[in-house]
Amino acid sequence: MEPEIFNERTDLTELNQAVDQIRQTLSSIIIGQKETIDFLIAALLADGHILLEGVPGVAKTLSAKLVAKSIDASFSRIQFTPDLMPSDVLGTSVFDPRSSSFEYRKGPIFGHIILVDEINRAPAKTQSALFEVMEERQITVDGHTYQMDEPFMVLATQNPIEQEGTYRLPEAQLDRFLFKIEVKYPTLEEEIIILQNQHQQKLEVEINAVKAVLSIDKIKKCRAIIKALHVEPKLIEYAARITHETRNNKSLYLGASPRASLAMINSAKAIAAMQGRDFVTPEDIIKVAVPVLAHRIMLTPDKEMEGLTPADIVGQIIQKLEIPR
Amino acid sequence: MRLLLFIFLFFGMLQVQANVEKQDSVAQKTVVRLDTTKVDLRGFDKSKLEAHSKETDFIYDDVPAPNLSFWDRFWRWFWRLIGQALSNKVSGGLIKYLAIIALVGLVVFIVLKIIGADLKIFSRKSQIVEVPYNESDDNIHEINFNEEIEKAIGNANYRLAVRLLYLRTLKKLSDKDLIHWLPEKTNQTYISEINDSDKKKEFSKLTHQFEYVWYGEFFIDKENFNAIKDTFERFNLHSS
Repeated sequence: MEPEIFNERTDLTELNQAVDQIRQTLSSIIIGQKETIDFLIAALLADGHILLEGVPGVAKTLSAKLVAKSIDASFSRIQFTPDLMPSDVLGTSVFDPRSSSFEYRKGPIFGHIILVDEINRAPAKTQSALFEVMEERQITVDGHTYQMDEPFMVLATQNPIEQEGTYRLPEAQLDRFLFKIEVKYPTLEEEIIILQNQHQQKLEVEINAVKAVLSIDKIKKCRAIIKALHVEPKLIEYAARITHETRNNKSLYLGASPRASLAMINSAKAIAAMQGRDFVTPEDIIKVAVPVLAHRIMLTPDKEMEGLTPADIVGQIIQKLEIPR
Repeated sequence: MRLLLFIFLFFGMLQVQANVEKQDSVAQKTVVRLDTTKVDLRGFDKSKLEAHSKETDFIYDDVPAPNLSFWDRFWRWFWRLIGQALSNKVSGGLIKYLAIIALVGLVVFIVLKIIGADLKIFSRKSQIVEVPYNESDDNIHEINFNEEIEKAIGNANYRLAVRLLYLRTLKKLSDKDLIHWLPEKTNQTYISEINDSDKKKEFSKLTHQFEYVWYGEFFIDKENFNAIKDTFERFNLHSS
């Protein structure tokens, strides 16, 4: 039996074309970071927000900017600083003497793709301004609720908390990010290519030449397809079990919430679609488990001192659980 | 005003001085006398004491109250026994040392627990092999595949039959040490464990079919199933 007969159920051609286009655009400028690019696309398709963490200079902001540029949608950038106020993000009501009334002036959060640069440099008060908009896609100011346009995606970057002048983000906010991706240093070979491109002044030309390859309508269509993908009941149970294990793990002080299970299923669907399948496999769930769970769990102080990371614990949990087959 | 205050203070002091002189004159007149009153000493009535000592209300012997429960009587007996044992020189000393050992043991246990030491080193090694988390009934080494596959085909449950065919293939690969079977491993891990490139390619194809049928829940009829079954059987034949 040829596998072609399995491909008749859902038409993923348009989605895969869109994914290929955006992947090609990003890969032509960001050297290496293939996994980061895949997760950026998966988050876009799964209607999630993404947090990029890495030391300064590893192309976090560039990656986020390129994602925004390759989509035909409005883009805002907010540089988070220690003195940033919630009204600087959400907007504020200003008195208009002509009409003798207060008029709401929208803040930079109103847009499709929002780049929040160095998110962990602002205090908790400003972070909390993002809670409602990230989860409910709306903001409430002076008793009025304003809906965000679809697609709405927050691409945030941050330096590791060990860096000077950074705060740990509140757990409630971390939980609102679909993925946290750790952007690593490039390999020697990759760094040589980066330097060559820079030396030949290719990089700047290429960045300026990036054109939008995805329209808002196309993103909406792709999201609708992904939502309808098939997940076998045992795989839903498998995802729930992974999350549940984080709540009973002795190495963890804080386990993951049900939102994490939902995020795991939604993003696994996006990964499956990106691979041309209209159903999820255990590998898809395993692939997204670390970026979905690692920022939602907290290690006990002793395990933290031992040098373990949340990703290690998620890995241990996955290795312990039987694959449903 | 100052003059009035001076006159008031002057006469006030004169009055105090007069009172002190009066008290001194009274003290000089006091005389001490001896008490010569006759006192009769009274004793206890011995006959009354004896009568009271015979009354049951005043007998405090350790007699159990008639309405004590069995449990209360048991504890009364137990503590009397302990009391007797402790009062005995030999047994009392033994109990004392046993109590000290138990106390030291308890302290050591608490300290080990606090520092998180592995206490399993004190226990005998378990003879039971640790079963991985939630291992299902589908241990591939225990399933009668031929019987189960026939049963699934008989019930026209081709999806289940494909699953069993795949599990049987995994068992055969495991038996030949081509893969190392563990329920926690993914299908892709098994593919990567196969070194022979032809077998790897064929097994990838079988995995693809299994995943579409099992995870994708694609409908397959008898004709499609027979085609899939043939590919599985061909692979197993070449692998043997």
